[in-house]
Amino acid sequence: MASTETLRRPASGFRISRKMLPYVLSLPALLVCIGILIPFFTAVIYSFQRYRLSQPWSRQFNWGENYLNFFTDPAFWNTLKVSLLYAGITVTLELLLGLGIALLLQRRSTINNFISIMLLLPLMIAPALAALMWKLMTNPSFGILSYLASLIGLHDFRWASSPDTALLTVVLVDIWVYTPFIMILLLAGLRSLPTQPFEAAALDGVPRSFVFFRITLPMLTPYILTATLFRLLDSIQQFDIIYAMTQGGPGNTLTVFQVEAYLNFFQSTNVGRSAALLIILWAITYTLSNVFIKNWLRLRERARGEA
Amino acid sequence: METMSPLERVLRGLALTLVVVFFMFPIFWIFLMSFQTNETILAIPPSIVFSPTLSNYAALITGKLQTAAGTLDIAFMRNLGNSIFLSVASVAVALVLGVPAAYAFARHKFKGSEDIAFTLLSFRFAPPLLVLLPLTQYFQWLGLSNTYFGLIWVYQLICLPLILWIVRGYFEDISADVEYAYRIAGHSWFATFRKIALPLAGPGIAAAGLLAFIFAWNNFVFALVLASADKQPVTVGALAFVTSSGIQYGQIAAAIVLSVTPTLALALYAQRYLVEGLSLGAVKG
Amino acid sequence: MTTLQLKNIVKRYKSQTVLDDLTLDVADGERLVLFGPSGAGKTVLLRLVAGVIEPDEGRVLIGGEDMTDVDAEHRGVGMAFQNFALFPHMSAFDNIASPLTATRSSKEKIAAGVQKVAKLLKIDHVLTHHPKALSNGQKQRTALARALVGSPPLLLLDDPLRNVDAKLRFEMRLELPRLLAAQGATVVYVTQDYKEAMALGDRIAVMAAGRIRQVGTPQEIYNAPADIEIARLFGDPTINLLDVVPQRSGEGVFVELSNVRVRLADYDADVAGKECVLGLRPEAISFADAVAPGAIPVTVEAETPLNEKTVTLALTARGREILVSRPAGTPGPVAGPAHIAVNGTQAFLFDKTSGALLPRADLAAKRSGEAA
Repeated sequence: MASTETLRRPASGFRISRKMLPYVLSLPALLVCIGILIPFFTAVIYSFQRYRLSQPWSRQFNWGENYLNFFTDPAFWNTLKVSLLYAGITVTLELLLGLGIALLLQRRSTINNFISIMLLLPLMIAPALAALMWKLMTNPSFGILSYLASLIGLHDFRWASSPDTALLTVVLVDIWVYTPFIMILLLAGLRSLPTQPFEAAALDGVPRSFVFFRITLPMLTPYILTATLFRLLDSIQQFDIIYAMTQGGPGNTLTVFQVEAYLNFFQSTNVGRSAALLIILWAITYTLSNVFIKNWLRLRERARGEA
Repeated sequence: METMSPLERVLRGLALTLVVVFFMFPIFWIFLMSFQTNETILAIPPSIVFSPTLSNYAALITGKLQTAAGTLDIAFMRNLGNSIFLSVASVAVALVLGVPAAYAFARHKFKGSEDIAFTLLSFRFAPPLLVLLPLTQYFQWLGLSNTYFGLIWVYQLICLPLILWIVRGYFEDISADVEYAYRIAGHSWFATFRKIALPLAGPGIAAAGLLAFIFAWNNFVFALVLASADKQPVTVGALAFVTSSGIQYGQIAAAIVLSVTPTLALALYAQRYLVEGLSLGAVKG
Repeated sequence: MTTLQLKNIVKRYKSQTVLDDLTLDVADGERLVLFGPSGAGKTVLLRLVAGVIEPDEGRVLIGGEDMTDVDAEHRGVGMAFQNFALFPHMSAFDNIASPLTATRSSKEKIAAGVQKVAKLLKIDHVLTHHPKALSNGQKQRTALARALVGSPPLLLLDDPLRNVDAKLRFEMRLELPRLLAAQGATVVYVTQDYKEAMALGDRIAVMAAGRIRQVGTPQEIYNAPADIEIARLFGDPTINLLDVVPQRSGEGVFVELSNVRVRLADYDADVAGKECVLGLRPEAISFADAVAPGAIPVTVEAETPLNEKTVTLALTARGREILVSRPAGTPGPVAGPAHIAVNGTQAFLFDKTSGALLPRADLAAKRSGEAA
């Protein structure tokens, strides 16, 4: 019989104490992230400075001036408007479309499962590359979409190169890429709903519109909220699609926050204004993400419970 | 749902067809274009009947593009190599850093663990340029500008939260008793981590890794800001490609096809885990 | 074999105190059953002894040595979990072998050790199976084998029979004492089943709400439960509890049940006039003729035949419910009016406010030799 003495190793030597272990395990990840937090605080400082890369000698704190200037700056209001418009339109349309498709695919069948996997593909394409694909398809000289537009009488439809239709075009690309995201989240939600209420409603001959609005939608709400907030957070920061498609143009038609900040930094070399724009965007996303994380955590708890 | 009128059946079928066409057509069309010469691409009306050519791919692979103005050197293969290297290395680093941290967060509710986990999560939702723009300057000071090392570090912004949150969920799903049992049997925490936690969370870790790979591959803005031509991945490289003059459209299409094929293939392979991964574990797939 | 001492253990989760200043001694080679309702803190206590969770205060001594700050893998205890906690990705063999691989024994030694304990537990034919392919009973035996294989001096068994079916539980209840005796280990055994506790324990420690309420041999606890709660937990059917105020007469202390005097010979006169709860085990009550002295009129409501006894629910004249137990096969009333007689020497008196058992006069002498 083994005695405790022989089993027990001396407490000396290399041994991480029980209390320290979790810190030791997560420390490397934390260090890497601290390296990323530092630039964040630098950006805050920049946003309170008059700082142009072209005139480094004039760099000095101007405190809130960058922010105050925004009030009288039509370009800023344009940025705010376009960003909100872009996020609002894309998320609304994607939600409606995604919900519709999820409902179409709700029943488990080979064909439905196959289609839902196929629909994932656009989501897996880099948004920047997706924008290039659509750029090829909307090319005025050979684009298939330009050709199709001409067939229905829209000759010389200029898609992203016209200020009138540029927003429509990038929204279309956004919808193409991200609707599948909402679709698969809602599909997973729909398929995880308990079946009894629906069976009971079917037995009682309850009208289907009633079932949808009074049973399906309320039960799906947490999923819809999570998907919407997730998308809203991404969409208001959209950069890849817009930059790859039009670089914010034509003119300032599509200068959403991140595109405007990028152009400010690299083209006008106005670091201060660029940083201030990003801080405002951060404030918006931070508020949204706090709402989001609460909802998301609830959903996560529930998913864990079902697992 | 059980009783569907014929009309409804038709309408549903029609709607689904439209959906499939809308989402599949661009992929299909670009794929076709990549096998076409400029002449067939520019033909009006467009036709899906043409004699396919591999010349676009050949030009990309050799890096010598024949244009009206002569031969043009295009380093698309280099971009592809960069994409592969950056994505693989970033995921590897994120796994090495993230899996132990995920384990710590899942198993030990230590002081501040939730705060730290949320800070990491909030990176997922912060505007990337907010960090990137100041980082360009820090990287210049540190000599990290346009280095793979610097890029891989920044790519942790995407990969680490993803791996941390997904893998943490998988670790939490392992019964604590199972790990206790192994400890009590006389094994150290590290042996327990290696022999119990890692194998049991294995599929989840693999899925998180694949997803992180897809996200790293698809990233655009990091390399756009921090890398110059020789370090750029395909997402940025393809854009430069479009704007350089005299390029044949079929070659752009071929470049896009080559660029999206790895992620599409991985996505099909790992589709079972996508729902869970995309929602950071909030929705079980 | 070894000893186990727990000294003033406190464990809190957030604001909740799960173990509250708990002290317990387990003697060398003793089989101690930790008995209590779920949520009493039994499992937490066991894990604390195993070393996978740490106490906030107090010390854990194994074999007289302070193990409080020693990691689980160096404590040399064996443990079986209620949910088995088998390693799902390992075969039954590897599961059982895990305590041996930690000691870097040779392959042959490991195989021999596993074979021996597997044969003992009759699972040597399923050693190649993974847990998924094992029946519940086989899983339970595998978990037990894993705890036993290293011959640990201290064995912790966390309700190992809880998740197996009744037949198996019965079998194991017979088999376990022999098995544990052969091991020669000191055993701490957790259960919620009082019969299991009575069958397996040298001593029983009754836990409730993070404290040990009573420690004693099974007989001591059955025959002198420290308070109402313990009296209620031990015994099936449950003990009858009636509010009474004892009185005294020339013959001694008595209580009135439906205006019939029941003498409590064991109690001293000083309990008279106190608000008390009378505890009557169903087997301390029997049916009687109406004319017998001390017969109490009741109405029989229902009868439940159990294996070895028949339990009858009766109502007293004041509408109080009484459970009466008699050996199966003996005659008794099935319905309607009847009379019962109470054996006053088997009655307990508890203080109504504190719930504590009131001391009996010279209990030990009277009880000795009596079976439970």
